Amino acid sequence: MRLSMPRFMISEHPFPWLFPLIAMLLVFAVFPLAYNIYLSFHEFAIAKRSLVFVGWENWLKLFSDTRLYNALVINITYTVVCLTVQLVLGFLIALLLDTDEKGFGVMRALFSLALVIPPAVTGMMFKMMEDPQFGMIAWALEKLHILSREVPILATSELALAGVMIADIWQWTPFITLIFLAGMRGLPKEPFESAVIDGASQWKITTRFTIPMLSKVIAVAVLIRGIDLFRTFDYIYVMTSGGPGIQTYTLSFYTWKQFATSLKWGYGATLSLLALIIINVAATVLIKLAKIKW
Amino acid sequence: MTMVLPIYFWITVSIKRDKDVFVLPPKLFRFEPTADYFKAVLLDISPVEQSIESRGALGFSGGGITYMVPRLVDSIIIAVGSTILVVTIATLAAFALSRIHFRAQHHFVYLILSTRMLPPVAVAIPLFLTYKTVGLYDTHLGVILAHTVMNIPLAVLLLKSFFDDVPLEIDEAAIIDGATYWEIFRRIILPTMRTGIAATAVLCFIFSWTEFLFVLMLTATGLKTVPVATSAFVTSTGTQWGSLAALGVAALIPAFIFILLVQKNLVRGLTMGSLKQ
Repeated sequence: MRLSMPRFMISEHPFPWLFPLIAMLLVFAVFPLAYNIYLSFHEFAIAKRSLVFVGWENWLKLFSDTRLYNALVINITYTVVCLTVQLVLGFLIALLLDTDEKGFGVMRALFSLALVIPPAVTGMMFKMMEDPQFGMIAWALEKLHILSREVPILATSELALAGVMIADIWQWTPFITLIFLAGMRGLPKEPFESAVIDGASQWKITTRFTIPMLSKVIAVAVLIRGIDLFRTFDYIYVMTSGGPGIQTYTLSFYTWKQFATSLKWGYGATLSLLALIIINVAATVLIKLAKIKW
Repeated sequence: MTMVLPIYFWITVSIKRDKDVFVLPPKLFRFEPTADYFKAVLLDISPVEQSIESRGALGFSGGGITYMVPRLVDSIIIAVGSTILVVTIATLAAFALSRIHFRAQHHFVYLILSTRMLPPVAVAIPLFLTYKTVGLYDTHLGVILAHTVMNIPLAVLLLKSFFDDVPLEIDEAAIIDGATYWEIFRRIILPTMRTGIAATAVLCFIFSWTEFLFVLMLTATGLKTVPVATSAFVTSTGTQWGSLAALGVAALIPAFIFILLVQKNLVRGLTMGSLKQ
């Protein structure tokens, strides 16, 4: 029986098991990466319809590109603001829900609903709700005397990014809440009970016990959400297309624009490598600091 | 409340006539429901064939294509195809990473994790250029392969965390009894880890189902998945919100049913197995 099986199946060596994965990664991760590095030293010449070697030109351009600077500022603003709001809101909602045992299943189901909507569709949904003429959010803001409907949220330079962030925050706060809730469920009960007996206030219990004990959970949430926020594209594409002007150009969107509209394949590749380097460095530091293990 | 309101509102848009959509304050309950958008999107009953009366009320402006079943089929082919592929590859790899110890294992795991950090656009540019030359551009297979790679880190790391739950002593006992790794895989790991594999599959399905950028960049006219197809409702003469909402709702239902099935392992899945519930 055993002899009739192909040799790789009875092997003790990990390679046969990993072979499909390695092949896939070589073709679809390592090769694109190498191709990107190659492209970053070339540029598509529209007149010649071919790639020409340009040396370090694309890389040097990174230092003088004001639009890139603009995109990086927007990216960092977007990531930091969304992450902070989502963590704080997610944590608070999780604290509120943690007490209720029975409703947990229902809430979890409702929360996961937001996760299965394609971000592009969420973007369209919020674009409609923020529409100055018939949008619900624009209308509510006017009723609350916060913002007149004469100011279109997604077409005003100071507000457009916030308008996009609302969609992101709405869609991904439940994700953070779910993670925190799971984390809180896993905490030991004893320290909390003794703290209550000692007469500690709710605030003290939260800051002294819950948050420190959840530090690993928080780190994982920051890591996964941070990576995705830094790569944001869908919301920008459907809601503002980077506008007004270049006010909502994230790094991903700028890269895509360079590639698809300006046909600057080489520079686009250079930008995407820059994004990869930033994410990789930041994520590695976080993983090391928080000792996240897989 | 804030959570549910936008979704509820979106569902109402898919069954409201334009005169009830474009009014403020928003009509959340008192409106006359209509299934016309769903008919247009799912049954290809174009607004022209519907009664003139209702056409006026619906205000199908802008024309354009509203029949979206082919797009749903594209989405299903791609999501199912890439899910099967990624789960197969990842199950094998996760088994090796969980059971067989080898040199540089940690580095290998980190390498897999770092593919998660690749911005999609960084992969999509080279793939676009390569696909053009090898003829994978604008094909289902091309997108399936791209989505497979996108989901590999999630699937491998999550499955590894599930497989790690099976105590190593069982392996050792089996090896003493003369079992090979393949037998351990088939007789012990696969049967006990059915739910874990199912949870992984569902998450991969959903991430493929909702993915936007690869489909946008790697396809032209041949196929489109639902997220990209929604942009077809944005026409030069205005956006067909009703049809757009109807498609959004239609696409939401299967994904939601799937995710309800894996509720228990959801958090673990979303954190790629680094947090256990």
